[in-house]
Amino acid sequence: MSDQIIVLGEHSKGQLNDVSLESLSLGKELSKVLDKEVVLVVIGRELDEVAQEVSSRTGFRVIVLTAQKNEYYTPETYCEILYSFLLSENPYLVLVGHSYQTIDFVPKLAGMLKWAFISNCLNYRIQNGQLGWVRQVFNGKLNLRVEIKGSSPYFVSIQQGIFGTSDYNVQVSPRVYHHKLVLPNLPLKRKLIEVIKNVHEKIDLTKAEIIVAGGRGLGSKENFQLILDLAKVLGAGVGASRPVTDSDWLSKEHQIGSSGQVVSPKLYIACGISGAIQHLVGMSNSECIVAINKDPHAPIFQVADYGIVGDLFKILPILTAIAGEMKK
Amino acid sequence: MNILICLKQVPEKDSHYKIDSSGIGVSDDNLAFETNESDLYALEEGLRLKERVGGKVVALSLGPERVEKVLRNALAMGADSALHVKDENFDGRDAWVTAQTIVAAIPQIEFDLILTGVQSEDMGHGQTGTMIAQLLGWSHATIVTSVDVVDGCSRLQVKRELGGNEFERIELQLPVVLTIQSGINQIRYVTLKGILQAKNKLYKIISTDDLDLESGMIGVESSKVKPQELLVPQKKRQTVMIEGKAEVAAKSLIDRLQKEAKVL
Repeated sequence: MSDQIIVLGEHSKGQLNDVSLESLSLGKELSKVLDKEVVLVVIGRELDEVAQEVSSRTGFRVIVLTAQKNEYYTPETYCEILYSFLLSENPYLVLVGHSYQTIDFVPKLAGMLKWAFISNCLNYRIQNGQLGWVRQVFNGKLNLRVEIKGSSPYFVSIQQGIFGTSDYNVQVSPRVYHHKLVLPNLPLKRKLIEVIKNVHEKIDLTKAEIIVAGGRGLGSKENFQLILDLAKVLGAGVGASRPVTDSDWLSKEHQIGSSGQVVSPKLYIACGISGAIQHLVGMSNSECIVAINKDPHAPIFQVADYGIVGDLFKILPILTAIAGEMKK
Repeated sequence: MNILICLKQVPEKDSHYKIDSSGIGVSDDNLAFETNESDLYALEEGLRLKERVGGKVVALSLGPERVEKVLRNALAMGADSALHVKDENFDGRDAWVTAQTIVAAIPQIEFDLILTGVQSEDMGHGQTGTMIAQLLGWSHATIVTSVDVVDGCSRLQVKRELGGNEFERIELQLPVVLTIQSGINQIRYVTLKGILQAKNKLYKIISTDDLDLESGMIGVESSKVKPQELLVPQKKRQTVMIEGKAEVAAKSLIDRLQKEAKVL
Protein backbone atom coordinates (compact mmCIF):
# COMPACT_ATOMS: atom_id res chain seq x y z
CA MET A 1 0.00 0.00 0.00
CA SER A 2 1.32 3.44 -0.88
CA ASP A 3 1.09 6.49 1.31
CA GLN A 4 -1.34 8.28 -0.93
CA ILE A 5 -4.74 9.64 -0.11
CA ILE A 6 -6.32 9.95 -3.52
CA VAL A 7 -9.11 12.51 -3.79
CA LEU A 8 -11.31 11.93 -6.82
CA GLY A 9 -12.42 15.36 -7.93
CA GLU A 10 -15.74 15.96 -9.59
CA HIS A 11 -15.98 18.92 -11.88
CA SER A 12 -18.33 20.81 -14.11
CA LYS A 13 -17.63 23.66 -16.50
CA GLY A 14 -13.92 23.44 -15.76
CA GLN A 15 -14.33 23.95 -12.01
CA LEU A 16 -14.07 21.52 -9.13
CA ASN A 17 -17.41 21.30 -7.35
CA ASP A 18 -17.85 22.23 -3.70
CA VAL A 19 -17.86 18.75 -2.23
CA SER A 20 -14.61 17.96 -4.06
CA LEU A 21 -12.99 21.04 -2.51
CA GLU A 22 -14.28 19.82 0.86
CA SER A 23 -12.80 16.36 0.17
CA LEU A 24 -9.46 18.07 -0.48
CA SER A 25 -9.71 19.88 2.87
CA LEU A 26 -10.36 16.62 4.63
CA GLY A 27 -7.52 15.03 2.68
CA LYS A 28 -5.18 17.78 3.86
CA GLU A 29 -6.28 17.30 7.47
CA LEU A 30 -5.80 13.52 7.31
CA SER A 31 -2.49 13.80 5.51
CA LYS A 32 -1.10 15.78 8.44
CA VAL A 33 -2.40 13.45 11.13
CA LEU A 34 -1.47 10.27 9.31
CA ASP A 35 1.59 11.46 7.43
CA LYS A 36 0.27 10.74 3.95
CA GLU A 37 0.43 12.51 0.61
CA VAL A 38 -2.72 13.93 -0.98
CA VAL A 39 -3.13 13.46 -4.73
CA LEU A 40 -6.06 14.93 -6.62
CA VAL A 41 -7.27 12.85 -9.55
CA VAL A 42 -9.66 14.24 -12.15
CA ILE A 43 -11.08 12.57 -15.24
CA GLY A 44 -11.72 14.36 -18.51
CA ARG A 45 -10.41 16.70 -21.12
CA GLU A 46 -9.56 20.38 -21.01
CA LEU A 47 -8.85 20.26 -17.32
CA ASP A 48 -5.32 21.55 -17.46
CA GLU A 49 -6.22 25.01 -16.27
CA VAL A 50 -8.07 23.87 -13.15
CA ALA A 51 -5.41 21.22 -12.49
CA GLN A 52 -2.62 23.83 -12.58
CA GLU A 53 -4.58 26.22 -10.42
CA VAL A 54 -5.47 23.66 -7.74
CA SER A 55 -1.98 22.21 -7.67
CA SER A 56 -0.25 25.56 -7.21
CA ARG A 57 -2.76 26.69 -4.58
CA THR A 58 -2.71 23.48 -2.53
CA GLY A 59 0.73 22.10 -3.21
CA PHE A 60 -0.86 18.75 -4.04
CA ARG A 61 0.03 16.63 -7.02
CA VAL A 62 -2.77 16.51 -9.60
CA ILE A 63 -3.27 13.68 -12.06
CA VAL A 64 -5.52 14.18 -15.05
CA LEU A 65 -6.86 10.96 -16.54
CA THR A 66 -8.10 10.89 -20.10
CA ALA A 67 -9.20 8.11 -22.36
CA GLN A 68 -9.56 8.03 -26.11
CA LYS A 69 -13.30 8.17 -25.79
CA ASN A 70 -14.78 9.66 -22.69
CA GLU A 71 -17.10 12.27 -24.08
CA TYR A 72 -19.53 11.81 -21.29
CA TYR A 73 -19.74 10.14 -17.93
CA THR A 74 -21.09 6.63 -17.69
CA PRO A 75 -20.35 4.31 -14.76
CA GLU A 76 -18.79 1.82 -17.19
CA THR A 77 -16.24 4.26 -18.62
CA TYR A 78 -15.33 5.83 -15.28
CA CYS A 79 -14.91 2.41 -13.68
CA GLU A 80 -12.80 1.18 -16.56
CA ILE A 81 -10.58 4.28 -16.42
CA LEU A 82 -10.15 4.14 -12.65
CA TYR A 83 -9.89 0.38 -12.20
CA SER A 84 -6.42 -0.13 -13.62
CA PHE A 85 -5.19 3.24 -12.40
CA LEU A 86 -6.18 2.61 -8.79
CA LEU A 87 -4.96 -0.96 -8.89
CA SER A 88 -1.49 0.20 -9.84
CA GLU A 89 -1.46 3.18 -7.45
CA ASN A 90 -2.67 0.99 -4.58
CA PRO A 91 -3.42 4.02 -2.37
CA TYR A 92 -4.01 4.15 1.35
CA LEU A 93 -7.47 5.61 0.84
CA VAL A 94 -9.68 7.05 -1.90
CA LEU A 95 -11.82 10.02 -0.84
CA VAL A 96 -14.80 11.23 -2.83
CA GLY A 97 -17.66 13.61 -2.17
CA HIS A 98 -21.04 11.96 -1.69
CA SER A 99 -22.83 13.04 -4.86
CA TYR A 100 -25.26 11.99 -7.56
CA GLN A 101 -22.31 10.87 -9.65
CA THR A 102 -20.18 9.07 -7.07
CA ILE A 103 -23.11 7.05 -5.72
CA ASP A 104 -23.70 5.97 -9.33
CA PHE A 105 -20.24 4.52 -9.99
CA VAL A 106 -18.19 4.05 -6.79
CA PRO A 107 -20.14 0.98 -5.55
CA LYS A 108 -19.47 -0.68 -8.92
CA LEU A 109 -15.80 0.28 -8.85
CA ALA A 110 -15.48 -0.95 -5.27
CA GLY A 111 -17.04 -4.22 -6.37
CA MET A 112 -14.61 -4.54 -9.30
CA LEU A 113 -11.59 -3.90 -7.09
CA LYS A 114 -13.05 -5.84 -4.14
CA TRP A 115 -12.32 -2.84 -1.96
CA ALA A 116 -14.75 -1.63 0.67
CA PHE A 117 -16.77 1.56 0.29
CA ILE A 118 -17.85 3.49 3.38
CA SER A 119 -20.42 5.90 2.01
CA ASN A 120 -21.88 9.15 3.23
CA CYS A 121 -19.57 9.90 6.17
CA LEU A 122 -19.95 12.81 8.55
CA ASN A 123 -16.58 12.67 10.23
CA TYR A 124 -13.54 10.62 11.00
CA ARG A 125 -12.16 9.43 14.32
CA ILE A 126 -8.75 8.13 15.15
CA GLN A 127 -8.96 5.74 18.05
CA ASN A 128 -6.13 3.47 19.23
CA GLY A 129 -4.19 4.48 16.16
CA GLN A 130 -6.95 3.21 13.87
CA LEU A 131 -8.71 5.52 11.43
CA GLY A 132 -12.47 5.13 11.73
CA TRP A 133 -15.43 6.85 10.10
CA VAL A 134 -18.65 8.20 11.53
CA ARG A 135 -21.81 7.68 9.48
CA GLN A 136 -25.36 8.68 10.13
CA VAL A 137 -27.74 5.79 10.67
CA PHE A 138 -31.43 5.33 11.55
CA ASN A 139 -32.61 8.50 9.83
CA GLY A 140 -30.08 10.66 11.61
CA LYS A 141 -31.09 9.60 15.10
CA LEU A 142 -27.82 7.79 15.75
CA ASN A 143 -24.30 7.81 14.36
CA LEU A 144 -22.23 4.70 13.80
CA ARG A 145 -18.46 4.59 13.94
CA VAL A 146 -17.05 1.99 11.60
CA GLU A 147 -13.58 0.75 10.79
CA ILE A 148 -12.18 -1.15 7.91
CA LYS A 149 -11.06 -4.74 8.29
CA GLY A 150 -7.73 -5.73 6.89
CA SER A 151 -5.26 -3.47 5.19
CA SER A 152 -6.60 -3.15 1.66
CA PRO A 153 -7.30 0.29 0.22
CA TYR A 154 -10.91 1.48 0.43
CA PHE A 155 -13.25 4.23 -0.63
CA VAL A 156 -14.88 6.83 1.59
CA SER A 157 -17.52 9.31 0.49
CA ILE A 158 -18.21 12.38 2.60
CA GLN A 159 -21.40 14.31 3.09
CA GLN A 160 -21.44 17.78 1.58
CA GLY A 161 -21.30 20.88 3.76
CA ILE A 162 -19.31 19.50 6.69
CA PHE A 163 -15.58 19.87 6.14
CA GLY A 164 -15.48 23.36 4.65
CA THR A 165 -12.81 24.57 2.26
CA SER A 166 -9.28 25.09 3.53
CA ASP A 167 -6.94 28.02 3.17
CA TYR A 168 -3.72 26.48 1.99
CA ASN A 169 -1.44 29.52 2.10
CA VAL A 170 0.92 27.93 -0.34
CA GLN A 171 1.86 29.13 -3.75
CA VAL A 172 4.12 26.63 -5.44
CA SER A 173 4.83 25.56 -8.96
CA PRO A 174 2.09 23.22 -10.04
CA ARG A 175 2.74 19.52 -10.41
CA VAL A 176 0.27 18.22 -12.97
CA TYR A 177 0.59 14.83 -14.64
CA HIS A 178 -1.43 13.52 -17.55
CA HIS A 179 -2.24 9.86 -17.94
CA LYS A 180 -3.74 8.81 -21.25
CA LEU A 181 -5.43 5.46 -21.05
CA VAL A 182 -6.35 3.10 -23.81
CA LEU A 183 -9.66 1.51 -22.98
CA PRO A 184 -10.98 -1.73 -24.39
CA ASN A 185 -14.08 -1.37 -26.53
CA LEU A 186 -16.83 -1.54 -23.97
CA PRO A 187 -20.25 -2.67 -25.09
CA LEU A 188 -22.41 0.42 -24.95
CA LYS A 189 -25.07 -0.71 -22.53
CA ARG A 190 -25.88 2.72 -21.18
CA LYS A 191 -25.91 5.85 -23.27
CA LEU A 192 -26.76 9.45 -22.67
CA ILE A 193 -29.63 10.93 -24.62
CA GLU A 194 -29.86 14.40 -23.15
CA VAL A 195 -29.30 16.51 -20.07
CA ILE A 196 -32.44 18.28 -18.96
CA LYS A 197 -32.42 21.41 -16.87
CA ASN A 198 -35.74 21.99 -15.17
CA VAL A 199 -36.55 25.63 -15.49
CA HIS A 200 -39.30 26.81 -13.29
CA GLU A 201 -40.29 30.19 -12.15
CA LYS A 202 -37.39 30.92 -9.86
CA ILE A 203 -38.17 31.23 -6.20
CA ASP A 204 -35.15 32.64 -4.42
CA LEU A 205 -35.36 31.79 -0.74
CA THR A 206 -31.75 32.76 -0.05
CA LYS A 207 -32.77 36.38 0.46
CA ALA A 208 -35.76 35.73 2.72
CA GLU A 209 -35.32 37.02 6.30
CA ILE A 210 -37.82 34.54 7.64
CA ILE A 211 -38.65 31.11 6.24
CA VAL A 212 -41.52 28.92 7.37
CA ALA A 213 -40.90 25.38 6.18
CA GLY A 214 -43.10 22.30 6.31
CA GLY A 215 -42.35 18.60 6.10
CA ARG A 216 -43.96 15.21 5.98
CA GLY A 217 -45.64 15.86 9.32
CA LEU A 218 -48.20 18.07 7.57
CA GLY A 219 -49.70 14.91 6.14
CA SER A 220 -51.37 16.31 3.02
CA LYS A 221 -51.41 19.07 0.45
CA GLU A 222 -54.55 20.57 2.03
CA ASN A 223 -52.89 20.72 5.43
CA PHE A 224 -49.88 22.49 3.94
CA GLN A 225 -52.13 25.57 3.82
CA LEU A 226 -51.27 25.99 7.54
CA ILE A 227 -47.65 26.70 6.54
CA LEU A 228 -48.70 29.11 3.80
CA ASP A 229 -50.95 30.97 6.26
CA LEU A 230 -48.24 31.44 8.87
CA ALA A 231 -45.72 32.47 6.20
CA LYS A 232 -48.15 35.03 4.87
CA VAL A 233 -48.73 36.84 8.17
CA LEU A 234 -45.00 36.82 8.89
CA GLY A 235 -44.11 38.02 5.39
CA ALA A 236 -41.92 34.92 5.20
CA GLY A 237 -40.70 32.69 2.40
CA VAL A 238 -42.12 29.18 2.16
CA GLY A 239 -39.76 26.22 2.35
CA ALA A 240 -40.25 22.47 2.25
CA SER A 241 -38.40 19.26 2.85
CA ARG A 242 -38.05 16.66 0.15
CA PRO A 243 -41.08 14.45 0.92
CA VAL A 244 -43.32 17.51 0.45
CA THR A 245 -42.07 18.31 -3.04
CA ASP A 246 -41.92 14.59 -3.91
CA SER A 247 -45.61 14.35 -3.10
CA ASP A 248 -46.37 17.52 -5.07
CA TRP A 249 -47.83 19.37 -2.10
CA LEU A 250 -45.56 22.20 -3.18
CA SER A 251 -43.38 22.77 -6.25
CA LYS A 252 -39.74 21.68 -6.30
CA GLU A 253 -38.38 25.25 -6.09
CA HIS A 254 -39.39 25.44 -2.46
CA GLN A 255 -37.18 22.54 -1.46
CA ILE A 256 -34.50 23.32 1.11
CA GLY A 257 -31.47 21.07 1.37
CA SER A 258 -28.72 19.40 -0.56
CA SER A 259 -30.89 18.89 -3.63
CA GLY A 260 -32.64 22.23 -3.19
CA GLN A 261 -31.70 25.65 -1.89
CA VAL A 262 -29.21 26.37 0.88
CA VAL A 263 -30.49 29.18 3.08
CA SER A 264 -29.48 31.04 6.23
CA PRO A 265 -32.31 33.40 7.20
CA LYS A 266 -32.67 35.27 10.47
CA LEU A 267 -35.47 32.92 11.48
CA TYR A 268 -36.21 29.43 10.21
CA ILE A 269 -39.36 27.73 11.48
CA ALA A 270 -39.32 24.00 10.71
CA CYS A 271 -42.71 22.37 11.09
CA GLY A 272 -43.17 18.61 10.88
CA ILE A 273 -39.66 18.21 9.44
CA SER A 274 -37.72 15.33 10.97
CA GLY A 275 -34.35 16.77 9.94
CA ALA A 276 -32.63 14.35 7.58
CA ILE A 277 -29.02 15.41 6.97
CA GLN A 278 -29.95 16.40 3.41
CA HIS A 279 -32.33 18.97 4.85
CA LEU A 280 -30.05 20.10 7.68
CA VAL A 281 -27.21 21.03 5.34
CA GLY A 282 -29.63 23.41 3.65
CA MET A 283 -30.70 25.37 6.73
CA SER A 284 -28.53 24.70 9.78
CA ASN A 285 -26.66 28.00 9.38
CA SER A 286 -29.83 30.00 9.98
CA GLU A 287 -29.47 32.56 12.76
CA CYS A 288 -32.39 31.26 14.81
CA ILE A 289 -34.07 27.89 14.28
CA VAL A 290 -37.44 26.85 15.64
CA ALA A 291 -38.51 23.21 15.41
CA ILE A 292 -42.06 22.03 15.93
CA ASN A 293 -42.47 18.26 15.77
CA LYS A 294 -44.46 15.53 17.45
CA ASP A 295 -41.41 13.27 17.73
CA PRO A 296 -39.19 14.48 20.60
CA HIS A 297 -36.26 12.48 19.16
CA ALA A 298 -36.42 13.98 15.67
CA PRO A 299 -32.91 15.06 14.59
CA ILE A 300 -34.21 18.56 13.74
CA PHE A 301 -34.00 19.29 17.50
CA GLN A 302 -30.22 18.81 17.32
CA VAL A 303 -29.96 22.13 15.46
CA ALA A 304 -32.89 24.01 17.01
CA ASP A 305 -32.69 27.05 19.30
CA TYR A 306 -36.33 26.67 20.28
CA GLY A 307 -38.32 23.48 20.22
CA ILE A 308 -41.94 22.56 20.71
CA VAL A 309 -42.95 18.93 20.93
CA GLY A 310 -46.57 18.89 19.96
CA ASP A 311 -49.39 18.84 17.50
CA LEU A 312 -48.80 21.09 14.48
CA PHE A 313 -52.47 21.25 13.67
CA LYS A 314 -53.18 22.92 16.99
CA ILE A 315 -50.06 25.06 17.27
CA LEU A 316 -49.81 26.49 13.75
CA PRO A 317 -53.26 28.18 13.64
CA ILE A 318 -52.58 29.79 17.02
CA LEU A 319 -49.15 31.01 15.93
CA THR A 320 -50.74 32.46 12.81
CA ALA A 321 -53.41 34.21 14.87
CA ILE A 322 -50.91 35.70 17.34
CA ALA A 323 -48.54 36.77 14.57
CA GLY A 324 -51.51 38.35 12.77
CA GLU A 325 -52.41 40.38 15.88
CA MET A 326 -48.82 41.38 16.36
CA LYS A 327 -48.52 42.79 12.85
CA LYS A 328 -51.58 45.01 13.24
CA MET B 1 -40.88 -8.16 -18.52
CA ASN B 2 -39.95 -10.08 -15.39
CA ILE B 3 -39.07 -7.80 -12.55
CA LEU B 4 -37.47 -8.42 -9.17
CA ILE B 5 -38.00 -5.84 -6.45
CA CYS B 6 -35.64 -5.78 -3.47
CA LEU B 7 -37.42 -4.53 -0.37
CA LYS B 8 -35.81 -3.84 2.98
CA GLN B 9 -37.60 -3.76 6.28
CA VAL B 10 -36.55 -0.84 8.46
CA PRO B 11 -37.72 0.61 11.78
CA GLU B 12 -40.62 3.05 11.49
CA LYS B 13 -39.66 6.66 10.95
CA ASP B 14 -40.74 7.88 14.37
CA SER B 15 -38.85 5.14 16.22
CA HIS B 16 -36.88 5.89 19.33
CA TYR B 17 -33.72 3.83 19.54
CA LYS B 18 -32.04 2.23 22.50
CA ILE B 19 -28.47 1.16 21.98
CA ASP B 20 -28.16 -2.48 23.06
CA SER B 21 -25.47 -4.05 25.23
CA SER B 22 -23.26 -4.85 22.24
CA GLY B 23 -22.90 -1.12 21.64
CA ILE B 24 -23.23 -1.57 17.89
CA GLY B 25 -26.88 -2.55 17.60
CA VAL B 26 -30.24 -1.26 18.76
CA SER B 27 -32.67 -3.09 20.98
CA ASP B 28 -35.53 -4.61 18.98
CA ASP B 29 -37.89 -4.62 21.94
CA ASN B 30 -39.95 -1.53 21.32
CA LEU B 31 -39.39 -1.17 17.62
CA ALA B 32 -42.09 -1.42 14.99
CA PHE B 33 -41.02 -2.03 11.40
CA GLU B 34 -42.13 -0.91 7.96
CA THR B 35 -40.98 -1.15 4.35
CA ASN B 36 -38.17 1.23 3.43
CA GLU B 37 -39.84 4.14 1.67
CA SER B 38 -37.87 4.31 -1.59
CA ASP B 39 -38.21 0.51 -1.92
CA LEU B 40 -41.99 0.96 -1.87
CA TYR B 41 -41.68 3.44 -4.72
CA ALA B 42 -39.58 0.84 -6.54
CA LEU B 43 -42.31 -1.75 -6.01
CA GLU B 44 -44.98 0.62 -7.31
CA GLU B 45 -42.85 1.39 -10.39
CA GLY B 46 -42.37 -2.33 -11.02
CA LEU B 47 -46.11 -2.98 -10.77
CA ARG B 48 -46.82 -0.15 -13.21
CA LEU B 49 -44.28 -1.49 -15.72
CA LYS B 50 -45.85 -4.93 -15.50
CA GLU B 51 -49.30 -3.46 -16.05
CA ARG B 52 -48.01 -1.69 -19.16
CA VAL B 53 -46.01 -4.47 -20.82
CA GLY B 54 -46.93 -7.72 -19.05
CA GLY B 55 -44.68 -10.10 -17.16
CA LYS B 56 -44.38 -10.83 -13.49
CA VAL B 57 -43.19 -9.06 -10.36
CA VAL B 58 -41.31 -10.93 -7.65
CA ALA B 59 -40.78 -9.26 -4.28
CA LEU B 60 -37.62 -10.17 -2.36
CA SER B 61 -36.64 -9.36 1.18
CA LEU B 62 -33.64 -10.43 3.21
CA GLY B 63 -33.97 -10.76 6.95
CA PRO B 64 -35.54 -12.60 9.88
CA GLU B 65 -39.08 -13.87 10.38
CA ARG B 66 -40.52 -10.38 10.74
CA VAL B 67 -39.81 -9.33 7.13
CA GLU B 68 -42.81 -11.45 6.16
CA LYS B 69 -44.88 -8.33 6.84
CA VAL B 70 -43.00 -6.47 4.08
CA LEU B 71 -43.50 -9.29 1.60
CA ARG B 72 -47.21 -9.84 2.45
CA ASN B 73 -47.76 -6.15 1.88
CA ALA B 74 -45.97 -6.37 -1.50
CA LEU B 75 -48.17 -9.31 -2.49
CA ALA B 76 -51.26 -7.38 -1.43
CA MET B 77 -50.15 -4.42 -3.56
CA GLY B 78 -49.92 -6.71 -6.58
CA ALA B 79 -46.60 -8.59 -6.66
CA ASP B 80 -47.05 -12.09 -8.12
CA SER B 81 -44.84 -13.96 -5.70
CA ALA B 82 -42.52 -13.41 -2.76
CA LEU B 83 -39.03 -14.64 -2.03
CA HIS B 84 -37.99 -14.47 1.61
CA VAL B 85 -34.27 -14.95 2.07
CA LYS B 86 -34.26 -15.88 5.69
CA ASP B 87 -31.37 -14.94 7.89
CA GLU B 88 -31.84 -14.50 11.59
CA ASN B 89 -28.63 -12.69 12.26
CA PHE B 90 -28.05 -10.35 9.41
CA ASP B 91 -27.40 -7.17 11.34
CA GLY B 92 -24.15 -5.43 10.69
CA ARG B 93 -23.42 -6.80 7.25
CA ASP B 94 -22.15 -4.33 4.69
CA ALA B 95 -23.69 -3.64 1.30
CA TRP B 96 -21.25 -5.95 -0.47
CA VAL B 97 -22.31 -8.98 1.56
CA THR B 98 -25.99 -8.07 1.18
CA ALA B 99 -25.55 -7.88 -2.60
CA GLN B 100 -23.73 -11.23 -2.71
CA THR B 101 -26.46 -12.88 -0.68
CA ILE B 102 -29.26 -11.52 -2.88
CA VAL B 103 -27.48 -12.54 -6.07
CA ALA B 104 -26.94 -16.06 -4.72
CA ALA B 105 -30.62 -16.35 -3.79
CA ILE B 106 -32.25 -15.36 -7.07
CA PRO B 107 -32.75 -17.31 -10.27
CA GLN B 108 -31.11 -14.48 -12.21
CA ILE B 109 -31.87 -15.92 -15.61
CA GLU B 110 -35.55 -15.28 -15.00
CA PHE B 111 -35.29 -11.53 -14.63
CA ASP B 112 -34.97 -8.64 -17.06
CA LEU B 113 -35.06 -5.90 -14.49
CA ILE B 114 -34.20 -5.49 -10.82
CA LEU B 115 -35.47 -2.48 -8.88
CA THR B 116 -34.43 -1.27 -5.45
CA GLY B 117 -34.88 1.98 -3.60
CA VAL B 118 -32.14 4.60 -3.66
CA GLN B 119 -31.02 3.86 -0.12
CA SER B 120 -32.23 2.40 3.14
CA GLU B 121 -33.40 4.64 5.94
CA ASP B 122 -31.60 2.66 8.63
CA MET B 123 -28.09 2.07 7.25
CA GLY B 124 -28.18 4.47 4.29
CA HIS B 125 -25.34 2.92 2.29
CA GLY B 126 -26.98 3.51 -1.09
CA GLN B 127 -24.78 0.82 -2.63
CA THR B 128 -26.60 -2.50 -2.69
CA GLY B 129 -28.42 -2.08 -6.03
CA THR B 130 -25.29 -1.05 -7.90
CA MET B 131 -23.29 -3.88 -6.36
CA ILE B 132 -25.96 -6.39 -7.43
CA ALA B 133 -25.56 -5.08 -10.99
CA GLN B 134 -21.79 -5.43 -10.77
CA LEU B 135 -22.04 -9.02 -9.51
CA LEU B 136 -24.48 -9.95 -12.28
CA GLY B 137 -22.51 -8.12 -14.96
CA TRP B 138 -25.59 -6.01 -15.74
CA SER B 139 -25.67 -2.29 -16.34
CA HIS B 140 -27.40 0.00 -13.88
CA ALA B 141 -28.61 3.50 -13.17
CA THR B 142 -29.15 5.14 -9.79
CA ILE B 143 -31.49 7.83 -8.43
CA VAL B 144 -34.05 7.19 -11.16
CA THR B 145 -37.05 9.50 -11.40
CA SER B 146 -38.86 8.07 -14.45
CA VAL B 147 -38.83 4.81 -16.42
CA ASP B 148 -40.10 4.23 -19.98
CA VAL B 149 -39.98 1.09 -22.06
CA VAL B 150 -38.73 1.54 -25.62
CA ASP B 151 -38.16 -0.68 -28.62
CA GLY B 152 -40.47 -3.52 -27.69
CA CYS B 153 -39.06 -4.68 -24.41
CA SER B 154 -35.33 -4.64 -25.03
CA ARG B 155 -34.44 -1.21 -23.74
CA LEU B 156 -35.43 1.33 -21.13
CA GLN B 157 -35.25 5.08 -21.19
CA VAL B 158 -34.82 6.46 -17.72
CA LYS B 159 -34.37 9.87 -16.20
CA ARG B 160 -31.95 10.20 -13.30
CA GLU B 161 -31.20 13.07 -10.97
CA LEU B 162 -27.95 14.99 -11.29
CA GLY B 163 -28.69 17.52 -8.55
CA GLY B 164 -29.23 21.25 -8.90
CA ASN B 165 -32.50 20.69 -10.78
CA GLU B 166 -30.68 18.84 -13.54
CA PHE B 167 -31.54 15.42 -14.89
CA GLU B 168 -30.10 13.15 -17.52
CA ARG B 169 -32.12 10.98 -19.84
CA ILE B 170 -30.27 7.78 -20.61
CA GLU B 171 -30.99 4.60 -22.52
CA LEU B 172 -30.17 1.21 -21.06
CA GLN B 173 -30.03 -2.25 -22.54
CA LEU B 174 -31.87 -4.88 -20.51
CA PRO B 175 -31.16 -6.65 -18.22
CA VAL B 176 -30.56 -3.76 -15.88
CA VAL B 177 -30.69 -2.73 -12.21
CA LEU B 178 -32.30 0.60 -11.30
CA THR B 179 -32.33 2.31 -7.93
CA ILE B 180 -35.56 4.26 -7.64
CA GLN B 181 -35.88 7.69 -6.05
CA SER B 182 -38.72 8.48 -3.67
CA GLY B 183 -41.46 10.51 -5.32
CA ILE B 184 -41.23 8.83 -8.75
CA ASN B 185 -44.91 7.85 -8.58
CA GLN B 186 -47.88 7.76 -6.25
CA ILE B 187 -47.87 4.55 -4.25
CA ARG B 188 -51.18 2.69 -4.44
CA TYR B 189 -53.20 1.76 -1.40
CA VAL B 190 -53.57 -1.85 -0.41
CA THR B 191 -57.14 -3.03 -0.98
CA LEU B 192 -59.05 -5.69 0.89
CA LYS B 193 -59.24 -7.65 -2.36
CA GLY B 194 -55.47 -7.40 -2.65
CA ILE B 195 -54.98 -8.73 0.87
CA LEU B 196 -57.28 -11.68 0.18
CA GLN B 197 -55.56 -12.50 -3.12
CA ALA B 198 -52.16 -12.31 -1.46
CA LYS B 199 -53.03 -15.31 0.67
CA ASN B 200 -53.01 -17.61 -2.35
CA LYS B 201 -49.78 -16.33 -3.89
CA LEU B 202 -46.47 -18.16 -3.83
CA TYR B 203 -44.40 -17.33 -0.75
CA LYS B 204 -41.03 -18.98 -1.05
CA ILE B 205 -38.52 -19.14 1.79
CA ILE B 206 -34.83 -19.77 1.24
CA SER B 207 -32.44 -19.97 4.15
CA THR B 208 -29.08 -18.28 3.77
CA ASP B 209 -27.60 -21.58 4.99
CA ASP B 210 -28.75 -23.20 1.75
CA LEU B 211 -27.15 -20.63 -0.50
CA ASP B 212 -24.11 -21.37 -2.55
CA LEU B 213 -21.92 -18.70 -1.02
CA GLU B 214 -18.23 -18.71 -0.35
CA SER B 215 -17.86 -19.96 3.20
CA GLY B 216 -18.29 -17.22 5.74
CA MET B 217 -19.94 -14.95 3.18
CA ILE B 218 -22.94 -14.55 5.46
CA GLY B 219 -23.30 -11.80 7.94
CA VAL B 220 -20.98 -9.49 9.66
CA GLU B 221 -17.87 -11.72 9.73
CA SER B 222 -17.36 -11.47 6.01
CA SER B 223 -18.13 -7.77 5.78
CA LYS B 224 -15.21 -5.54 4.93
CA VAL B 225 -16.55 -2.79 7.14
CA LYS B 226 -16.77 -3.42 10.85
CA PRO B 227 -19.25 -1.52 13.05
CA GLN B 228 -17.48 -0.28 16.18
CA GLU B 229 -19.79 1.89 18.18
CA LEU B 230 -23.19 3.56 18.00
CA LEU B 231 -23.10 7.17 19.11
CA VAL B 232 -25.79 9.62 20.08
CA PRO B 233 -25.35 12.65 17.79
CA GLN B 234 -24.11 15.72 19.59
CA LYS B 235 -26.43 18.64 19.72
CA LYS B 236 -25.28 21.53 17.56
CA ARG B 237 -27.23 24.08 19.56
CA GLN B 238 -28.73 24.35 23.01
CA THR B 239 -32.45 23.98 22.51
CA VAL B 240 -34.91 25.80 24.72
CA MET B 241 -37.82 23.38 24.86
CA ILE B 242 -41.12 25.20 25.20
CA GLU B 243 -43.67 23.24 27.16
CA GLY B 244 -47.35 23.60 27.81
CA LYS B 245 -50.62 23.40 25.91
CA ALA B 246 -50.73 24.68 22.34
CA GLU B 247 -51.95 28.20 23.30
CA VAL B 248 -49.36 28.63 26.03
CA ALA B 249 -46.52 27.24 23.95
CA ALA B 250 -47.39 29.34 20.91
CA LYS B 251 -47.56 32.53 22.96
CA SER B 252 -44.33 31.76 24.75
CA LEU B 253 -42.56 31.03 21.47
CA ILE B 254 -43.60 34.31 19.86
CA ASP B 255 -42.63 36.14 23.03
CA ARG B 256 -39.16 34.59 23.09
CA LEU B 257 -38.61 35.19 19.38
CA GLN B 258 -39.39 38.86 19.93
CA LYS B 259 -37.67 39.58 23.22
CA GLU B 260 -34.93 36.98 23.56
CA ALA B 261 -33.85 36.13 20.03
CA LYS B 262 -35.03 39.46 18.61
CA VAL B 263 -35.84 37.96 15.25
CA LEU B 264 -39.48 39.02 15.01
